[in-house]
Amino acid sequence: MLKTTGLKYLYKHGKTIEFPDIEIETGQRLLISGFSGCGKTTLLSLIAGALRLQEGSINFNDTDYSDMSSMSLDKFRADHIGYIFQTLNLIPFLNVSENIALGIKFSKNRKSKVSDMHQEIERLISSLGLEKEILNTAIDNLSVGQQQRVAVARALLGKPDLILADEPTSALDNDTTKKFLDEVMNTFDPSHQAIIMVSHDLSIAPYFDTVLDFNKHNAHSII
Amino acid sequence: MLIPLFKSIWSRILPTSLVTISLMASMVLLLSIERIQQGAEEGFNQSISGVDAIIGPRSSSLELVLYTVFHLGRPTNNITTKTIDEIKLRNDIDWIVPIALGDSHKGFRVIATDSNYFEHIKYGSNKSLKVSEGRIFSEISEVVLGADVASKLNYKIGTSIQITHGSSESIGSKHDDFSFIVTGILDKTATPIDQAIFLDLRGYELLHLGWQSGRKVFSLDNIDLSAIPEDDLNPKTITAAFVGLKSQLTLFNFTKSIREYPSEAISAVIPGIALSQLWSIVGLVDKGFELLSWIIIAISLIAMITLIIASLENRKQEMTIYRANGASPIFLGGIVIYEALIIGLVAIVGAILIVTIVTYFATNQLNLALGITPSFKLVSLGEIRIFTIILLAGVLSSLIPAIMVFRKNLHQTLG
Repeated sequence: MLKTTGLKYLYKHGKTIEFPDIEIETGQRLLISGFSGCGKTTLLSLIAGALRLQEGSINFNDTDYSDMSSMSLDKFRADHIGYIFQTLNLIPFLNVSENIALGIKFSKNRKSKVSDMHQEIERLISSLGLEKEILNTAIDNLSVGQQQRVAVARALLGKPDLILADEPTSALDNDTTKKFLDEVMNTFDPSHQAIIMVSHDLSIAPYFDTVLDFNKHNAHSII
Repeated sequence: MLIPLFKSIWSRILPTSLVTISLMASMVLLLSIERIQQGAEEGFNQSISGVDAIIGPRSSSLELVLYTVFHLGRPTNNITTKTIDEIKLRNDIDWIVPIALGDSHKGFRVIATDSNYFEHIKYGSNKSLKVSEGRIFSEISEVVLGADVASKLNYKIGTSIQITHGSSESIGSKHDDFSFIVTGILDKTATPIDQAIFLDLRGYELLHLGWQSGRKVFSLDNIDLSAIPEDDLNPKTITAAFVGLKSQLTLFNFTKSIREYPSEAISAVIPGIALSQLWSIVGLVDKGFELLSWIIIAISLIAMITLIIASLENRKQEMTIYRANGASPIFLGGIVIYEALIIGLVAIVGAILIVTIVTYFATNQLNLALGITPSFKLVSLGEIRIFTIILLAGVLSSLIPAIMVFRKNLHQTLG
């Protein structure tokens, strides 16, 4: 599904990071771990197509990122990738339902996979352990754990091929983290989707098929 | 996308409202100036209506209009009633109303005329002069007051007044040998007619029987007024005459023939043309206010752009989430432009509604107080043009924060 080769990124402050090559197939769950500042978020942004490639290549479902313009990459991301942040995943002035619906807002491809959006949203939040009643709730009234689940629902809506999650459990306590990951892994569809999660917490490694530790593998900075 | 856009604006409702109100207020100012200017120009041009031409001694047309319509300045010459009587015989004439100016009472101009004045001279959109109290004069010792004269001097029907020779109240210039009785007070017209006192031409002639070269030679107290021959009271000269023609088509021929009148140096002025020329001078003042309004609008637009730029930092999360879900930087720039468009539209619609409602309720008061009838309409073609320019300017200036958003998000990670 996804293959990255020889990725390097030069930051504005002059530091260059060389990333290890990644290969992931449908159904696989990859955990990327590393210290702060080692480039994990940059790597996710490159895979998401939000940052232009400088050096190296990314191939996703036979589509080469270097052949694509910025606008095409944005469209590609909308069609194929669901993204989850560490915190502040949700737009505060939209309610739960409206936030989840953003997942397919920019993608006709994902929209076409959802015949009844309301029903699909209800299904997703139920499988993530949330009550249907929260759909019209303001975001401010949700706990951090609930907000993260809503973010996952948005990322999964319309069945994108790849879920990218950047430290989604950092703000959760251990029990909530376990519950959260149980629900995410139960809801994600291994027959169609893959997941790449970034976290500094190696204790969650058992949830994943592969762990890429930036501290140990080839990820290093080139000055 | 409109719902999230509106919700985004609502989440920043206080600063957004302040900017919208500021923009709206500046547009209300511009719109009000436009409409008042139009109403004032209309009112100005309708200070007198129903009059096709004004005949007077040959002089500048503006001068003639100034002293016959606005009672400003002093006539430098008179014209003979013999000439007017000859002109009256023309086939194209419907009516002629003579007037004589020169005297005053406590600063208010006295207009000597005949009772036809009140039948033929109109104001505004061809409204007839009417008395609010009493009646038009029928005797030479009777006067009719304009509305402002009566209210400012607290004169009523039956009040006795004496006229001053000339426009000042200097000693020795009063016609203190003859008093007039107020028989009528005119309705308010919001024109110079309100500040005038009207009396019969024969009464005016009587006043000046004992005067020569601007000085009283003998007093009327010393003569038997009833013994004065009727003919002696018919004026030999007048200041000017208002003319109504049977057909407007003959107007230019009429003015040409008056200009070429062989027996006396007279001319005929078309009041509408002269008033327009006068307005083009007077109306320059409004251009200054209009310029000021545009400056205020520019300042409000700058405030709007400043607000949008200032809000971008607070909207980083919103923008990043949109970006993560596939929105392009162009889309994010578009949100900023749409917001400016919404603010602009709300300000425009609000300004139009406010001005229209206020105009609707205040038209009567403005007309009575200032002689202005602001045009009551939802929006004119000229105003649509102005608002389009303002909206375009707002949208174009919002390109600044839009480009900032675009460039920022082109190279930012999703962290």
